Amino acid sequence: MTQPFLSIRNLRKAFGAITAVHDVTLDIPKGQFLTFLGPSGSGKSTTLYAIAGFQDPSSGDVQLEGKSLLAIPSHKRKIGMVFQRYTLFPHLTVAENIAFPLRVRRRPEAEVKKKVGDMLALVRLESFAARLPGALSGGQQQRVALARALAYDPPILLMDEPLSALDKKLREEIQAEIRRIHRETGVTILYVTHDQEEALHLSDRIALFRDGRIEQIGTGEDLYLRPATDFVAGFIGNSNFLAAEHLETVGGAATVRLADGSLVSGVNANGSLAPGQKTRLMIRPEALRLDRGPKTVELVVDIIDVAFYGERRRIVARTSTGQEIDIRPTFSATASHDVAPSQRQVFFDPSAAFLFPA
Amino acid sequence: MSVETRQSFGIVRMPAGFGGLLPALILIALFFVIPVLALLLRSVTEPAPGLQNYATLLYDGTYARVFFNTFLVAAVVTAVTVLVAFPVAWMLAIMPSALASIVFGVIILSMWTNLLTRTYAWMVLLQRTGVINRTLIALGIVDQPLPLINNLTGVTIGMVYIMLPFMILPLVGTLRAIDPMTLRAAALCGASPFQAFRRILLPLSLPGIAAGGLMVFVMSLGYFVTPALLGGTSNMMLAEMIAQMIQSLLNWGLGSAAAFILLVVTIALYALQLRLVGPRRMSGGN
Repeated sequence: MTQPFLSIRNLRKAFGAITAVHDVTLDIPKGQFLTFLGPSGSGKSTTLYAIAGFQDPSSGDVQLEGKSLLAIPSHKRKIGMVFQRYTLFPHLTVAENIAFPLRVRRRPEAEVKKKVGDMLALVRLESFAARLPGALSGGQQQRVALARALAYDPPILLMDEPLSALDKKLREEIQAEIRRIHRETGVTILYVTHDQEEALHLSDRIALFRDGRIEQIGTGEDLYLRPATDFVAGFIGNSNFLAAEHLETVGGAATVRLADGSLVSGVNANGSLAPGQKTRLMIRPEALRLDRGPKTVELVVDIIDVAFYGERRRIVARTSTGQEIDIRPTFSATASHDVAPSQRQVFFDPSAAFLFPA
Repeated sequence: MSVETRQSFGIVRMPAGFGGLLPALILIALFFVIPVLALLLRSVTEPAPGLQNYATLLYDGTYARVFFNTFLVAAVVTAVTVLVAFPVAWMLAIMPSALASIVFGVIILSMWTNLLTRTYAWMVLLQRTGVINRTLIALGIVDQPLPLINNLTGVTIGMVYIMLPFMILPLVGTLRAIDPMTLRAAALCGASPFQAFRRILLPLSLPGIAAGGLMVFVMSLGYFVTPALLGGTSNMMLAEMIAQMIQSLLNWGLGSAAAFILLVVTIALYALQLRLVGPRRMSGGN
């Protein structure tokens, strides 16, 4: 087996009686963009800080190319980092900030100059070299922070919610910037965020954290299309959960009875479920449609509200047991777009539905 | 924001706040400005009209020595105070606020204790047969008592102790405004703790060091009690000299001239500090 580039082994971190990280094991190949996604307090930042050397883990190890980093202090770890808050040095100009990692390494002045120029070009702030950080907008400051973190070509770049202080438009702009920089530099990036859209948009792989553990790790598509648990399904994207009784599972395809008594066969079952066990059936809003398809089953509902959102419409319906569900059919040339006032059913393909223990 | 904007704001606001300032202005005019002018007048009229008092002070070797000594003591005290105060201020800035308020309490309490009492306490500690010397001899660290009093050492120890709060308080304010994350960022940029201190923490704390340092330096220039009690005759300071001239020698002219020089130096230093770390530098403008 080839050696992983960065490896986290059974990482555990406790603060007194509170355990922030329970047991995290993770291998990251060189050049990958991996995102730690999760709600606040799920241990994702603590894991990142252990890699940065700000917090010593209670047990476990962090290894770079097979060698433990734990005994190495932060300033010798060769890791670049962009923080949530603006951490540019306020008394230094943009150019001096970017030069800082090179100056403390006593690189020759000609090299420093060239590298600062390259970095300013990379983040497209050439004309701001002589400004002080206080004279920059938040987005510009984070781009300078990115340039500073990459200035000495660290093999690993850590980013701790770097865009959370920015507004939506600026966030999207810098996300594109980060994608481009990742493409151009090939640096391995570990990115922390609680924003699932940001994670899906940026990452090669996502590790979804919950209560100090990794709930699921995989590509954005894995997590979205094949959620391992109902937590993953609920956290990533929008989901409808319908109460269901599990009847039987054959080869990963389950048959369930919904609360209104109807039977549905061929839904994806996760883990081992006993006959008669109470379960939740997850259906994405966009997997529900208004017209019958080749393999669809029907769900009897009352349509309450139809709202038009431009690229799609959003329909709120209520099942016969009173549960509200969210329906966002995609427009297509063949599918019917109109909701007849008398319409009493919506349809879904059971293979796009997932069954989880309740 | 530019300095010009601030100044114009000041001018616009001035009339509104003027009424409230009036009692203080009257007090300062009556008990500071007028006496200082009287002092100035005496210094150029006694014993005869002219600038001979200033000439004597600036060109006579004895007086020049007192001036030199005054600046030396003030400079040494300021430097030592900065060195001692910085770590204390840093600890105060980063420690939990409950603990910090206790330490602040101790510092403030020492400021409220009578100055004379504290200085006499140092005499007890520092004299030849004092607690410090006896302990050092008993421990076998020294054979002879160390000369800790009636010299520059004694004055420095006593005055640094008294000046510490005036350095610590402004410095804590400056250090608290520095985001600790900035230092973490410096570490991940590859800066050793010393480099992070020298290149980041120290430059960022300069306004506080300058503010506290100026306060300590100016207060030290005019200090009387501690140098009089803990210093020696060979390193007399200006305030002592002025007291002697006026109380013992009744030479009001020379004493006034010395006092006036001290005032001018103080104002000049303040102006210099405003230039160096004034609002322009601190606001981060160009």
